[in-house]
Amino acid sequence: MAEFRAAVRQRDGAAVVDLHGQIDRAASGPLAAAYADAAAQTPGAIVLNFEGVDYINSTGIALIVGLLARARAEHRAIGACGLSDHYREIFEITRLSDFMGIYADEDSAAAAPAAAANTGRQS
Amino acid sequence: MFGFPRLAKLAAEGKSGQELIDLLLNELAKFTGPDWEQEDDITLVTLRRSGAGPAATASTALTEFELASEPGNERIAIDRVAAAVGDLELPPARLERLKTAVGEAVMNAIEHGNHNRPELPVGVRVTRSGAELSVRVTDQGGDRPVLQAERPDLEAKLAGEQSPRGWGLFLIESMVDELRTSADGRQHAVELIVRLEGVDNHG
Repeated sequence: MAEFRAAVRQRDGAAVVDLHGQIDRAASGPLAAAYADAAAQTPGAIVLNFEGVDYINSTGIALIVGLLARARAEHRAIGACGLSDHYREIFEITRLSDFMGIYADEDSAAAAPAAAANTGRQS
Repeated sequence: MFGFPRLAKLAAEGKSGQELIDLLLNELAKFTGPDWEQEDDITLVTLRRSGAGPAATASTALTEFELASEPGNERIAIDRVAAAVGDLELPPARLERLKTAVGEAVMNAIEHGNHNRPELPVGVRVTRSGAELSVRVTDQGGDRPVLQAERPDLEAKLAGEQSPRGWGLFLIESMVDELRTSADGRQHAVELIVRLEGVDNHG
């Protein structure tokens, strides 16, 4: 079981948060810290890169909902990329995809205008 | 009169469950026309017959085990259930859904049923009966209410009006064909049902 970790970098005016491991209760602190780091680095969009994530449970979904709520309060767009087909389906079932842009990969997310990152449209 | 022959013909079109009910109601509306005044209730129940004989519908245990109620043990349950159903060759997407449902059911049992008390076991039993796969997860919280899954209100959660949590039961129900819950005062049970139509049915 891969321990969760997150790293923040900038790309094209957005902050990309590379997520690794499993997003469950143990990810709460590191995920919140990564978001704060990303928000401090840019006033623009934040892209969550799930390419390195192998497991998300309902607590992890709640953590992502919390991040999304915080971003919306800050009028900040959030996008997601690198989701497996299964977790993309879960983002659709939970309607997370209605409130954040879902992109196949980081290039697609980076190419999307920041304003469109929360339209829920898929690339 | 709408009649049984018409009903049988519609039922033979291959639809099932809610789709069949919707079809029947639509056809009934067409039959009666807009000016008909309904005089009594309409109750429709759909049943599915497996088509297999008694021998084929006998339940076969694929695995049965217990886990200590410690956070994280749901991952062990996921791996063991996935291994137990390996021979069924479920399509990858269905297997992933089942794994998520198992993880959530076991996590609920650990947290809400056994309150993270390691000495209280969570039981997992995987059986196959004809074209139905069942994963039954039990905990020792049989006195807690049997909850029904409800769709969480994401807007309220995003607005901070509700806790961001509360996705477990909804996820479970969304991932399997049927969710059965029960309690007997001692044990609480969640049964995850996956229909195996289209999956190799031998064995």
